[in-house]
Amino acid sequence: MTRTIHTISAVLLTLCACKQSGNTPTSDEIVLGIIADLTGATADVGKPYNEGMLAYIDDLNAKGGLKGRKINALSEDYAYKVPNAEEKYKKYKQAGAIAIQGWGTGDSEALRTKVKGDELPFMSASYAEVLTDPKQSPYNFVVAPTYSDQMRIALDQIAASDPGAQVAVFHHDSPFGMAPVADGEQWIKDKGYKLGYKDYAMKGGATDHVGLLQQAKDQGARFIVIQNVSSPAATVARDIAAQKLDMKIVCLNWCSDELFIKLAGAAAEGHWMIQPFTPLSVAKPGHAPVQAYGKAKGIDVEAKGLHFVQGWYTMHVMARGMEKVAADGKPLTGPNLRAALETMDAVDTGGVIGPVKFSADSHRGSLAAGVYKVDGGKIVEVAAAVAPKK
Amino acid sequence: MPGVATGIYHTSYESDLRLRHTRSEKARLVLCIAAVLALPFMLNNYWLGIVNAIGIAAIGAIGLNILVGFTGQISLGQGGFLAVGAFTSALLAGRAGLPIPLAVAGAVVVTATAGAVVGLPALRLKGLYLAIATLASQEIIEFVIRRWHWLTGGQGYLEVPPLGVLGWHVQRTSFERTWYWVILATAAVAAVAARNVFRTALGRSFMAVRDQDVAAQAIGVNLTRAKLSAFALSSGYVGLAGALTAHYTEIVTWERFTLDVSVQYLGMIIVGGLGSIAGSIYGAALLMLVPPLLSALADAIRDAAPFLADQLPALQVAAVGVVIMVFLLFEPRGLDRLWRRVKDYFGYWPFRY
Amino acid sequence: MTQFIQLTVYGLANGAILALAALGFVLIYKATSVINFAQGEFLLVGAYAFYSAFVLLHLPVMLAVMIGLAIAIGLGVAIERLVLRPLVGEEPIAVIMVTIGLSAVLKALIQIFYGTTPRTMPKVLPRGSVEILGAAVPIDRLVAVAVAAVVLAAFSAFFRWSRHGVAMRAVADDQQAALAQGISVPRIFALAWAMAAASAVIGGVLIADIAEVSQSLAGFGLIVFPVVILGGLDSVPGTIIGGTVIGLVSQYAEGVSPGASQVVPYVVLVVILLVRPYGLFGQPRIERV
Repeated sequence: MTRTIHTISAVLLTLCACKQSGNTPTSDEIVLGIIADLTGATADVGKPYNEGMLAYIDDLNAKGGLKGRKINALSEDYAYKVPNAEEKYKKYKQAGAIAIQGWGTGDSEALRTKVKGDELPFMSASYAEVLTDPKQSPYNFVVAPTYSDQMRIALDQIAASDPGAQVAVFHHDSPFGMAPVADGEQWIKDKGYKLGYKDYAMKGGATDHVGLLQQAKDQGARFIVIQNVSSPAATVARDIAAQKLDMKIVCLNWCSDELFIKLAGAAAEGHWMIQPFTPLSVAKPGHAPVQAYGKAKGIDVEAKGLHFVQGWYTMHVMARGMEKVAADGKPLTGPNLRAALETMDAVDTGGVIGPVKFSADSHRGSLAAGVYKVDGGKIVEVAAAVAPKK
Repeated sequence: MPGVATGIYHTSYESDLRLRHTRSEKARLVLCIAAVLALPFMLNNYWLGIVNAIGIAAIGAIGLNILVGFTGQISLGQGGFLAVGAFTSALLAGRAGLPIPLAVAGAVVVTATAGAVVGLPALRLKGLYLAIATLASQEIIEFVIRRWHWLTGGQGYLEVPPLGVLGWHVQRTSFERTWYWVILATAAVAAVAARNVFRTALGRSFMAVRDQDVAAQAIGVNLTRAKLSAFALSSGYVGLAGALTAHYTEIVTWERFTLDVSVQYLGMIIVGGLGSIAGSIYGAALLMLVPPLLSALADAIRDAAPFLADQLPALQVAAVGVVIMVFLLFEPRGLDRLWRRVKDYFGYWPFRY
Repeated sequence: MTQFIQLTVYGLANGAILALAALGFVLIYKATSVINFAQGEFLLVGAYAFYSAFVLLHLPVMLAVMIGLAIAIGLGVAIERLVLRPLVGEEPIAVIMVTIGLSAVLKALIQIFYGTTPRTMPKVLPRGSVEILGAAVPIDRLVAVAVAAVVLAAFSAFFRWSRHGVAMRAVADDQQAALAQGISVPRIFALAWAMAAASAVIGGVLIADIAEVSQSLAGFGLIVFPVVILGGLDSVPGTIIGGTVIGLVSQYAEGVSPGASQVVPYVVLVVILLVRPYGLFGQPRIERV
């Protein structure tokens, strides 16, 4: 038995030793590292996001790539575990990546100082405020309004609807969840709103949030802002319906999607959503290339949902940066890509998200999000491109 | 064969006390040292990073083996102690501005004290009950590091200043290599120190507690002192591993210190061999190598069998579980015993035993 | 008051399911002295097996439950035969680690085949809510408590009065004496694992219906430990009391301070271990040197 174990392990080790360096890029390929969550805690939104991104790259390569150079995307699954993300980052660095597309707040934070030291531009689907400040995170670029911006927009909408209301903030128990909490409280003070404000951490994997709703009810809350993914938000929606509470949920971007409606069912009706990326149910010119690609490849993009579009356009912004570097005749390196992203013109996304523009002082790409409502099982637009009040 | 000893005869106390007796043992030691010194020049940065992670894990595994393998106290609380070490060192170095070696030393002391505190209820408990009590300590510590906002200043994660002492700072271009030497030196000292502990009276009292604690008490071993020292010493090692992790990854988040990590360390010492320092290192190496090797395998056969690459994270977890189970079913004494059997096979050849 | 009623009902529902899961753990420990760290994963397998039969294969409810039971019992017996039989007589840590390794493998397998997206199923338990003293309480949770109570009572009756139940108690007390009486100990071991799997399936189906089918079900497996320590590692009535208490206390704690329910069971655990290590109803172990 032990001899079998020895021989098998020897064979495996030799196999792997042969392919030690991973993908060796050809000289005219652009190596891009993508860290995705395909099977982890946020996989239900991470997978369509990654698929959208890879779809964009596939489409771009089919059309000839960037000035004839194709993008070699190394995309791997880190299952939402930060140590895995660090390992993937080292692997991509070793393979010669000139930029990284990340995913969550955990890995974005963990790799922030590393990308700064290694000079690799980093975009992700984490919209935390600290990533938009070039002094702290010179190599991070945030395409959409930050969680704090979304919170400000949400509070503006609530204050417009019911000036003296109590607001409860249910958030994921993590840095991602806590990101907008303090800024929301500050905004109420700055704008002189008369809103009550209290935050509650949601227990992970809970089968019900009755305890939290009780406390919100004691607070007298009429609005519940949820900074979490769809599944826990749907649980809250179902609990509210079961207990016949008069509360309205305001979802920030990660629970503002088709999955929330699917999981909550009838309980999702009437709740509000703040979503920077326009869902496919609200047709915009920017959806056309995505739908064309889907038709050509036989992919049902409507079923994939708005996160597919989100991944597509996030990659589009980075590709624009790469095009500018090539247009300026410079070699495609990390620092050059960073400079290009900071100096390029606003990227038009055909209404999917407001024009995306970075600068040397701000790596916050856009400030406005759409306000939506769940009506008849679909996401319906209430107001487009709303920015926090000046 | 000249390398094989048919018996080891000592003629002086000094030769009895040496760590390596036979010529072949000494030869293997020299080879080992040569390989370890040459390693950073042979591997690329990615694999060197993995070796560094193995080094840190080996220190933690040695600590755990002191408690579980040598003293017989089952503990599921490593994740918590790693967290104590990591947060203490990060806070001392970052917020209090202490030089990093002092911060790490402080972390070791604090974690050892925490270990002794957790060990207090352990004086009354044994076996499964002790395991469950340490499980409770793990969950409570995990809860505290997630909820106590003062630790991370409200951000949820804590950034750690990069390695640097007396004006010299680690460079990003030689990051892995610099860390390799640091971790190698620390691990070597830790391993030799642990090996020596078990040649002292204190270490032997640990083993007495493991083997037959009532009888040990009868011959005069102070059980309280032995158990508490075991917890403290073990936690000190684990705190060192945690502090090194904090400075190596330059960020401290609660995710690195969950129950899964405790289980992983237990797996390392079981696979490596309970009650063996060398075994801890082997076990750490094996369990930490399984995920990257599986990942490399997935890359190699990506076109032929995409299934492996698609489900890689789940398969990595399953593979580690399978490795643990296979060892428990076929060689419960671990890699250490396996290696001894290999040596004996060649040593006694052509005889069977 | 309404808050108290609601928290009590939700707490009882969670406690009932905890008791079902813990029952399996106690059964295995009593009969075979094995500590099964994979109990939560049994719940997971049971829930997903039921989901597959009920939703993916569109079978009627009762048939789906039978299939779920069959799969789980098959798994339990296979584990006992293949994984635990070779480890008889090894140190406790080896057995603990094998079940931990097993739990990792089972969880990974479920993830590979079903992904991490939570799945919803059509409700089996009745929908709607009912008013109790002014508090709106969902009916499905009340029914879950009732079902769990019936199942637990059935198991207790089985142990008390049936031949196999008595045989199991005999094996738990003294294996040698039971062998001398002609009781087939290997068969009793298999029966213990089968029954543990069955109770886990029922618990899994209930929770899958109340909430959703997802990986988070495995979390119940860890909270089983405070329950069995509180009730006593080898006591079936203790499990029921322990489950109820932990379920209620967790829910009340959640009502007072959100997130506290994650740590409160373990604090209770530590207190019990310090004050009364063998639990409320457990038998003290006498150690012989």
